[in-house]
This record gives sequence, structure tokens and C-alpha cells, in this order.
Amino acid sequence: MEIVVCVKPVPEAETRLRVAADARSFDAEGVKFVLAGYDESAVEQALLLKEATPGSHVHVVAAGPSPRTEEVLRASIALGCDAATFVEMPNAPAPDPIATARALAGAIRALPHDLVLCGKQAGDDEGGLVAAALGELLGLPDFGYVVDLRWDAAAARLRFQRSAEAGQELWESPLPCVVGLQQAWNDPRTAKLPAILKSRKAPIAKVAPPADATGHPTSHAEKFELPPPRMGAKLIEFKTPPEAAEKLVKLLREEAKVFP
Amino acid sequence: MTPGILVVGEVQNGRLAPATLEALGVARAVAPSGDPIVGFVSGAAGKSAAADFARFGVGHVYCAEDPRLDAAPVGAIAHAVAAAAGAAGAALVLVGGTTFGRDLVGRLAIRWDASAATGVTELVRADGALRVRRSVFGGRAHETRRMEGPRCAVALRPHAFSVPAEAPMALTVESIATADLPSNLIAPRRVEVRAPDRGAGPSLSDAAIVVSGGRGLRGPEDFHLVDELAAALGAAVGASRAVTDAGWRPASFQVGQTGKAVSPQLYVAVGISGAIQHIVGMVSSRCIVAINSDASAPIFKVADYGIVGDLFEIVPALTAEVRRARAP
Repeated sequence: MEIVVCVKPVPEAETRLRVAADARSFDAEGVKFVLAGYDESAVEQALLLKEATPGSHVHVVAAGPSPRTEEVLRASIALGCDAATFVEMPNAPAPDPIATARALAGAIRALPHDLVLCGKQAGDDEGGLVAAALGELLGLPDFGYVVDLRWDAAAARLRFQRSAEAGQELWESPLPCVVGLQQAWNDPRTAKLPAILKSRKAPIAKVAPPADATGHPTSHAEKFELPPPRMGAKLIEFKTPPEAAEKLVKLLREEAKVFP
Repeated sequence: MTPGILVVGEVQNGRLAPATLEALGVARAVAPSGDPIVGFVSGAAGKSAAADFARFGVGHVYCAEDPRLDAAPVGAIAHAVAAAAGAAGAALVLVGGTTFGRDLVGRLAIRWDASAATGVTELVRADGALRVRRSVFGGRAHETRRMEGPRCAVALRPHAFSVPAEAPMALTVESIATADLPSNLIAPRRVEVRAPDRGAGPSLSDAAIVVSGGRGLRGPEDFHLVDELAAALGAAVGASRAVTDAGWRPASFQVGQTGKAVSPQLYVAVGISGAIQHIVGMVSSRCIVAINSDASAPIFKVADYGIVGDLFEIVPALTAEVRRARAP
């Protein structure tokens, strides 16, 4: 099976967010970027499928600014991906998710692809648009919010679950298709030191974004704001538990106005 | 004809889903000058759900009454939506903030050549421009984006808008042909839907109120305290990663970075210390209540109201008080 997995660098979860000088984006100065959490799950899923399906190959693709995007490609190689393609995009203005999907699709079209895997969204912009846009660009069905993906070789069907509002949906689909993963059904592996060292020298194919990555309707960030710092909880003073309960219900009803 | 707004309907038990009604309310609010608002429904129950559009003031509905669309991937439905948006001459497609809505907007951005945004909490049309506000970084920041181009597809954030008042009017249904759907978009099938293994309460991502339990509960045998408070509030039950990792509750209950992100009106954290992993999944809730015995727990930094105390005493008292307060 030829598997393509799309990854993206995002700021570490613990990053203290600051507003950039232009007030339109967050300040990336000194911020450490890592492989997005959902993308880690996508890489893990790709590697599990490869291990279960002899003769498979995992190609990791990313579109974004240098050098952080190359770094997550190397991190994916250290985890076990076989090859990498980097579509270089400008750092500013940050491309919107649809422009990113167009750039990724350009690279994927040039690769054999039975299955395209993505994280369902990234932890920064939370667009969740890339998998669906890729599906349409590649002329393939796409599925978001997927967990527990298995390849049924005998039936030539991918079987998986989707977490939706109505419950767990069970799906089957022939290949090729695009899948956005909710989270892996087992914990993503961590890279071993020798693999990390080796990945530093791994070749990364560099391609330019396709011509159709620009010139379409897009969106531009105009403002980036941090909420006023939470002042900490109003602590309820009480002598007995029923008194605490009574005071809380009163606050929820009269002050917060969220009591059902 | 003025460029109008197309609201994409999601059908639940033959009726429009609450998320669609929220989108309808937004359409009515941003089209004060009388821009036409039209609806879209698909699937075998399409026509009956179309009547709901008319009940809420949208009298012209495009209907792809093709039963294949009931169990088909979003790509097939996006074909029909794009056809309807084209037929209506729409400039804006609005959809509720469900898993379907978010996926649909990504497909439409390409199929209908539109700018796209998801998780939108505010939408303003002024000076010929459309601006959206959305929460990013797990609710730790907000961005405002200007949507460029003549067409735009937007998925809202669940619960960010209220359901509008009814405004009944006459209904016209216009059929959307689906005969030419590409076969590879129809071949994948949804073969089964398993209702969440969580009893009768609302689902976690839909719920207006969520009560989550953490390690402070000490063991699975005490998790019923959370279940009972949730039942009294009509809330969905969630859990911290510690709880799902320990197997007290299935992974589908997990709220957090690697679980579900929720943004209910009210979030009650019971015996949850507040690791960043958990916080990013719930911090954008409108009101947060924390109950924990450790006054230095980080959850109290993000909560609006806190009770420092023994949850084994506080939670049963709170359940009793909620029942009393909600009794007719």
C-alpha cells in the first residue's frame, strides 16, 4: 500500500502565547515547534498499516515555512517514514488552510497514493479543513474524525470508525481515499536516538507550490487576540456541603445565567 | 437577484438538527437587508426536513432527495450542495458546527471555489466584506479573519449561537439532480451507527452542559457521583485522560487535547487537577466550575467558580440541590 501522510509543525502545547507586533498573528519568536499531536497519530497509523501490509511505503509530506517544516519531516522519518517531500511556503503572510491543501495536493499528485492520512486538525489554527479539501482536490472521498483504522485485504476495503454526534459510525471504503484521524487507537511511538541522528542526514525532496495554490478565494488574518487573563475562580465559602451547593446553584442561575 | 445565503441542513430523525437551526439564526441576523436565504437538505427524509426550514422563515429549499446520500461520505453531499449554491447564486454557505459541517466546508472550498472558515463564533457582514471571529489554540486565543472572494463557506462553532424564533412561511422545494455523482464518492458506505455507550444523556460534543470526572474520584466505583450530577443537570459525562487511561471509562469520554474538545455553556470539573492536556479541551466553555480538594490545583486558575472541598460530600449535596432547583 502506498501511504502518504501529511504533517504540520505547531507550537508546543505549553507555549505561552504572545501577540505579534502586527497584532494579526501570534509571535513565533523563540517558540519551539513540534509535530502536531493529531499528526503524530496520523504517522503512527501510517506506520501500523505499513507494518501490517507487506510491501507498503510511507511518504510524509508537509507544506509550510522553513526550517520548522523540514524539522517535522525529519521527526517523521525518525519515527519510521520512508521518504519526505517539503513544499516551501512563505512564513508571512501565513497561507490559509485551503492554500495549504492546494500546495499539499500538488505534491501528492506526483506520488503514488492509495491512502492519504492527516490529523483531523492542527492544535494551532484548528481549521480542520485540510483533509476534506485534499479529498476534493484529489477527486477522492474523505473521512474526518476517524479512529480505529484497519485494512481488510481480503475484501479490499478500509474499515474504520468515525466519532460523530450520533455516536460511533462504522464505515467501509475502497482505496484510494483521504482520512483525517481523530487520534490513534494506540499511543504514538517515540523515536529512538539512532533513528533521530540518522534522520538528520535523510534526503528531503523540495518542491515549489503548484500554480493553483494562489489566485483562489482565500482569507487573511486581521487580528489576533488573547482573552483577558482568567483571574482565577471565585471560591465559594461555606460551612456545610449543602450550603456550598446552594450558593453555587444561585451563582450559576443569577450571575452566570447558565443554570438549565 | 442579490447574492444570497444558503443554509445547509443536517437531518436528525427527520427534522433539522439544532446545529442547523443555529446556522439559520445566523443567516437571518446577517441578512437584514433582505438578501434571500435558501435552504438545502439531502437524503430520503429531505422533503420532510424541508418543512422545518419553512417553519423558521426559509421558504425556498433545494432538495437532493437521494437515499444514497444518507450513508455516503461528505464528498458526495458536497457535490449536491455546490450545485444548489450555484443554482441559488449564493455568495455565502452556512452550516452548523458539527463534524459533517466542518468536513463539508473543506470540500466546498474547492468544489465551489470559495474561501472557508470553521469554528466561527461571530460573523459580520459590513462594508461589502465578511469577517469571522474564531477561537484558536484550544480557546487560548481568538482570531479575526477577512474572507476574500465572491464566495465563502462557513461552519459555525457549536452552541455559539442560539436557535431563532419560529417564523412560518410557505414552502417551495426545488430538486437537485444527483444522477452524475462520481462512483468513487458513492462507493464508501456507512454500515452502522453505534449510539454512544453513555446511557441516555446528550453526546459530549453536542451537550450544553458537561460534567467531567477525574482521578480525584479514586476509583471507577465512585464515578456514579459524576453520572448522577450529570443526570440532574441534563448534562453529558466526560472524563480526564487519567480516568480513561485507567479504564474507568472508555476513551470516548475523554475531554482534552487527545480526546474531544468541548465548549458547552457550563463545564463542571469534578476531582480534575487541570493538566494542560485537559485544559485545552475545555477552556473555551462559557462557564467553568471546579470541585477539588486541593486549593492549589491548576483547574482553579481557569475556572469561574470553585469549591475547595471533599468531592465525596460536595457532589452529592450539589446533585440534591440541582434536583431541588429544577423540580417543577
